[in-house]
Amino acid sequence: MASQSQTATASETELTGAQKIQQLRELFADATDVGKTALENVIKELSSQVSEPPPPIESAGRVGARLGQRSELTIIVPLVPGGAKRLRTFLQLLGGNLSPGASKVGTLHDMRFVFIDNDTRLLFATSFDGDWDTYIDDFIALIPDYLDLMDSAWEGWPGIRNPGAKDYLVKHQITAEGWFVANPELSLAEIDRLKRVGAAADEFLDKIQ
Amino acid sequence: MSSISESAAVSGVAPESTLDLHEIQATVLRPRPAPYFGTHVLLRIDEPSAGRKLFRRLTPHIDSADSWWTAANPWLSVGISYAGLKAVGLPDNSLQSFPEAFREGMAARARQLGDVGLNDPKNWDAAYGKGEVHIGVQAFSDSEEDRRRIIGLAREQIDGLSVSILAMQDFGAQPGDLNSLGYKDGIDQPAIEGSGFDPLPGQGQPIKPGEFILGYPGEAGFPLPMPQPDILGRNGTFVGFRKYQSRVGAFNRFLQAHGSNEAERELLAAKLVGRWRSGAPLVLAPEVDNPAVGADPQRNNDFNYANDPRGRQAPFGCHIRRMNPRDSKLTRLTDVNLHRLIRRGTTYGPPYDPNALSEADDEVPRGAIFLFISAKAMTTIEFLQQEWINDGNFIGIGDERDPIIGLQQEGAVFTIPREPVRRRVHSIETFNVLRGGEYFFMPSISALNWLANGFQ
Repeated sequence: MASQSQTATASETELTGAQKIQQLRELFADATDVGKTALENVIKELSSQVSEPPPPIESAGRVGARLGQRSELTIIVPLVPGGAKRLRTFLQLLGGNLSPGASKVGTLHDMRFVFIDNDTRLLFATSFDGDWDTYIDDFIALIPDYLDLMDSAWEGWPGIRNPGAKDYLVKHQITAEGWFVANPELSLAEIDRLKRVGAAADEFLDKIQ
Repeated sequence: MSSISESAAVSGVAPESTLDLHEIQATVLRPRPAPYFGTHVLLRIDEPSAGRKLFRRLTPHIDSADSWWTAANPWLSVGISYAGLKAVGLPDNSLQSFPEAFREGMAARARQLGDVGLNDPKNWDAAYGKGEVHIGVQAFSDSEEDRRRIIGLAREQIDGLSVSILAMQDFGAQPGDLNSLGYKDGIDQPAIEGSGFDPLPGQGQPIKPGEFILGYPGEAGFPLPMPQPDILGRNGTFVGFRKYQSRVGAFNRFLQAHGSNEAERELLAAKLVGRWRSGAPLVLAPEVDNPAVGADPQRNNDFNYANDPRGRQAPFGCHIRRMNPRDSKLTRLTDVNLHRLIRRGTTYGPPYDPNALSEADDEVPRGAIFLFISAKAMTTIEFLQQEWINDGNFIGIGDERDPIIGLQQEGAVFTIPREPVRRRVHSIETFNVLRGGEYFFMPSISALNWLANGFQ
């Protein structure tokens, strides 16, 4: 799968900033003039950041990238015949807004289901707190039917209770090459805590006026 | 016998078990006696045949959990590390059937366990983390005399074999079975369905046996994957062995710095744990200690957090509310029953000294070796270390860590919810430092015989 080739790219990051820029210029030699001009303009702006890069993206366990508290997961899977229709109809049960059920999980920041290639494949993308398999046993115990209902549209899905389920997910997951999180240190639980603190602070300030 | 184990101190009904108790090792189900004495022995097998000979000699002396509720003192148990299974020549397909984290070993899983900084394996005692610990033998008894006798028996089985003793650590907490920070410990254990006794008040619904012993259905309704072949895996379990040293000076200095008199210091000590030193839970004794409750196994665990939703009795971050949140509201979808461990805490070294205040006192070798027992001990210990010990997000308190066994960061705090405003205690330090750790497989009696007979 695509995820295999990513590892090699990650280990090639020993190049210096200048070498990386040189490499980019070589790759853009065949690009359009629009692309070349854009590259030169961007290099002017980014050269200082390239020599002093931001904190590295870590691994979210077996697969996936992690920034601070937050991990990302992208899966592209082939769908069984009729799977797209089933899954789409299920998602539409709630008008496509998954928040009533998904918010109970407590670690999910977002989730999206995108049907591609004429409904033959699904792109599933999410970001969440922590390593991806920390709570998997809890999901198996508490919400197995939700997982199986959605994943049974996936070709070869063994069932969430099957010991091979984790391997299936890893096999179809593709680690993101680039990623941005505005507040990587803020878990969902911490965001909720800060909301409470903010409300309490306002109440306190109102009272002492 | 004089000593009746606490969990077995239930009256009446003849016990009935649906587990193969005669196959399961005694230490898995039998609580330590009171008082307790014992020894941990760590061994290295220097040639494969010596390992098989050792099992042949030792197995007849390993106790099963048959009648675990009676205090059949003293007893021996044995665990084998992955390096140990390799050292006795277990075939490769069988070795590969063990879980990945077990094969890698506790030291190699330091990232997942958060065993960094002070707790980094490079700071561990010499015997640990190098793949040299092959076998762990545990002796439990209710008297020093019996401890000496049974450990002598174990040593006789080792004598004359190509087996090296890497470490021997006597344990036993006298007086009063208090741990090295001065608390009564080991009170709350998970109740296991089918193990033969009704749960004690407060133990909650019994948990499916497959969470703790291989070969039985777990909470999700099916058994966990077992090491193969079947005879090796069934009725076995995994043990996370973790040796902590208590920094008693740092602990006492913390209490002194944040409590101006004895009563304040003892309340702070209780807030850290969620129980008074007597064992009485704060939820049942919120203002002052109630030693009678602490001493009574029918009462000292009989509570939940329904009437303490804001943590004003037991702080959200206190040790026992983390290790078993019971009905606390958690921020993440969690099945509390999936993250429980059977604990055999074994305190070693001199008793707690309330007057020990110096940094030299931090280096006195005293603390506890824990056996954390579960059919998925590696997964559970990693979960607990990441989520419930070295983080606070799961219960909505940011990045605060467990005040007793957490690894504290620079500037760490401990929050005590109060009316009208919470108290935030600063400068909390790491009070228990990890000094070593290994994963063991604790096989059934039949599996031990299978190992002894050259895998047949």
